[in-house]
Amino acid sequence: MKIVVCIKQVPGVSAVSLDPETKRLVREGVKSILNPFDLHALEAGVRLKERHGGELVAISMGPPKAEQALREALALGADQAVLLCDKRFAGSDTWATSYVLARAIATLGNVGLVICGKQAIDGDTAQVGPGIAAHLGWPQATGVTALEVAADDGSLAVTRQQDGGHDRLRLPPPAVLAVFKELNQPRVPRLSGWLAAERAPVPVWNAEAIGADPALVGLNASPTRVVRTGPPPPRNKDSRRIETTPAAAAAQLFHELRRIAAI
Amino acid sequence: MKVDPHSNPRQSHQGIWILAEAHQGRLLDVSLELLGSAARLAAQRPQPVWAVLFGHGVEPLIPTLWEHGADTVLAVDDPALGWFNDEEQAALLGRLLRQHRPEILLAGASAVGRALAPRVAVAESCGLTADCTGLEIDPASGALLQTRPAFGGSLMATIRSDAFLPQMATVRPGVMKRLDPVPGRRGGLVRESLRPEERRGLKQLLEWLPSSGGEEGFGNASFIITGGRGMRGAEGFELLRRFAAKVGGAVGATRAAVDAGWAPYAIQIGQTGRTVQPRIYLACGVSGQIQHLVGMQGSDLIIAINPDPAAPIMAMADIAIVGDAFAILPELIALIQP
Amino acid sequence: MPNSQDTRYRVEVSPPKHGAETLTARLERFAARYRQVIAAGHAVCITDNAMGHLCFQGHELIRELGLPVPPGQVMIHLNTFHTLADLHWILDGCAELGVTELLVVSGDGAARLPKLAPAEVGGAGASVTSVELLAYIRRHYGRQFRLGAAFNPYEPAEHELEKLRRKVAAGADFIITQPITRANPLVGQIKGELKIPVILEAWMSPKLSLLSDCIGYDLGDASAFDPLACLAELHRSYPGSGFYLALLDFKTQFDRLPAGGAA
Repeated sequence: MKIVVCIKQVPGVSAVSLDPETKRLVREGVKSILNPFDLHALEAGVRLKERHGGELVAISMGPPKAEQALREALALGADQAVLLCDKRFAGSDTWATSYVLARAIATLGNVGLVICGKQAIDGDTAQVGPGIAAHLGWPQATGVTALEVAADDGSLAVTRQQDGGHDRLRLPPPAVLAVFKELNQPRVPRLSGWLAAERAPVPVWNAEAIGADPALVGLNASPTRVVRTGPPPPRNKDSRRIETTPAAAAAQLFHELRRIAAI
Repeated sequence: MKVDPHSNPRQSHQGIWILAEAHQGRLLDVSLELLGSAARLAAQRPQPVWAVLFGHGVEPLIPTLWEHGADTVLAVDDPALGWFNDEEQAALLGRLLRQHRPEILLAGASAVGRALAPRVAVAESCGLTADCTGLEIDPASGALLQTRPAFGGSLMATIRSDAFLPQMATVRPGVMKRLDPVPGRRGGLVRESLRPEERRGLKQLLEWLPSSGGEEGFGNASFIITGGRGMRGAEGFELLRRFAAKVGGAVGATRAAVDAGWAPYAIQIGQTGRTVQPRIYLACGVSGQIQHLVGMQGSDLIIAINPDPAAPIMAMADIAIVGDAFAILPELIALIQP
Repeated sequence: MPNSQDTRYRVEVSPPKHGAETLTARLERFAARYRQVIAAGHAVCITDNAMGHLCFQGHELIRELGLPVPPGQVMIHLNTFHTLADLHWILDGCAELGVTELLVVSGDGAARLPKLAPAEVGGAGASVTSVELLAYIRRHYGRQFRLGAAFNPYEPAEHELEKLRRKVAAGADFIITQPITRANPLVGQIKGELKIPVILEAWMSPKLSLLSDCIGYDLGDASAFDPLACLAELHRSYPGSGFYLALLDFKTQFDRLPAGGAA
């Protein structure tokens, strides 16, 4: 049985800048990294493989350079990595992206579990995991903070974060999980792992290789359209200074917090 | 893959739906905020506002939804809906969307909203914008313009998806304003039920574990109280924790405080720690070195308490209080009702 | 007691960052610099994920690249951002390779890096600092290693001197300061008071503003900084003192170091 981990290469910065002329993202000089949330998905996959056996496959849809993120997955313990790369995939929103990933999972075959990170740090949508589950028609669990596989029937016991607490569920494979960072502490790969990953083959699959309908991928198949991007609204400029006795300062702060309904 | 985004031509869709969420017999705040948002959109593009409410024993919550702006409540009450079963609720919501054809569906960016909305959007072949902080109707086309932060808030993107209906968005909690409730306001009520083919039975609930509170970490805290070297020791952090408990906030620390052993690294904010963007950030005894500021500058409201009026944090703060947190916080705690 | 080891130049050599891209070439460059420092009779110092950037560990580089470890000529930094298992992997690796000198620091965190928990190393505070780590290594490895600790003359003196006393009590055998660019009264004070060697760090990059950023303290006149002249001046101010060289330029500075550093 295969475990698939879906990963994404993202800009390695927590903040990006916009070109004041073109209003487009400044990407020059910004290093690409493996999406930090995906490390927890990979770690979950590696631990399941270590405990229960199976084959761990990392997949990513992206440009040719996204191969570097897949090599990191190999360094961390993935057995195989596949890059889903095709000019026609460009501009895909989460609908089309999850379609491509779902087609790749179907093509791999014999997949019992798909693990995604919470969300990607560039888009922050958290939509691709449930999207894959919907395309495949498999059950899903998001916000996963604990995960076990039953030895007898292979069913999954997951704990997931909900508003106001956690619930524990049992669900049958095949299933799609989106995991939170609370699930595990990702290991740090070793130099020996990186040296092996540097030499490993990373096959590239296009739309035909995964049997994807070209009419359902890319910008034209994406229901959402970005109509404009811009800087966030400026910080409140009318800052105030309070310089008085502790009791009076506390009273002013109290009224301010109450005014904005913080207390 | 039977779904096809092109198979959804614009038809006679009408209505703004919001997904109302109840947990342990209480509506989430964001559900009432969504009603406020829907009412403002309906003022721009007149159409009825419906609240969709799934759950078990949720009948008593219906008047609250009316009072906060729902013209009609679509309620499905079933023991199977007493916990969040993604597949059942997605099948149910998808069928209701096809049946009633609203133009817009808004859900909270809650745990349930962020799991259910994308599953439904894919199954129903429509677009979905996550975690919106701004919604408006484009006067020219009537499209829903959905604005959301990306890249951790350093970029705002405006998105439309009106070629595929309904236009779906999840909305960040705590951003939209709810309406002033109108006591006694009543609206329509439509009851639906969960159909046998929607009872997928794939998942089984084993256990519900309510939050115990008191865990270290920020979670989704909208109020973060951070201590720096000016808190003088672990006892200073006790004071911050007491205040945080009063306001339902979380405690953070600067690197100096963590390096001194006063606070755990898990709550360190800054370049070599976490980046946070709460609604309110209260910095106590924090000087405001650049490596700290990069971790919190995205906060909505920044308040600083520092005896040094020239400390860098005071220049960045929206409210800068010159003084000693050890003197001010106990006074503030006393003012807040228990 | 100052000994011959402590008047050697300790030359920082940054380990390659994680990543498969150009890995072989980056490893070769590291190995060449390492061998160059050893051949000149100086000591190589390898940092531990400086600024929270994930880099290869000194001991795995030495092992994988077959680098020599002459006695007293290799020092490895060790910080508190590791799992307990990885901490022992590093310490045991160093012991096996004959690396005897460790600089124990709190270190820079990052989301990617785990952090030792107080319970794991027997600490009583809310977080593990270099003090707890020093004590832990001393307890578990006895006199196997010669342990160093850091001193930051740019932090408030009262706070930093108190921390220094705790580091010495926890088992520090020598102290390395943060980079200084001129005679520093606080450094002079601890050199006079402490019975263990105090090694001075010299900033070898002409970009003084980088150092200002690192320490969060404006050192002023960034334009006219001459690192080699500054090092010579420090030799005059602190005769017989050992020096740690940060950001040394191997092309332009290595062959022009003032005498007094070589053993």
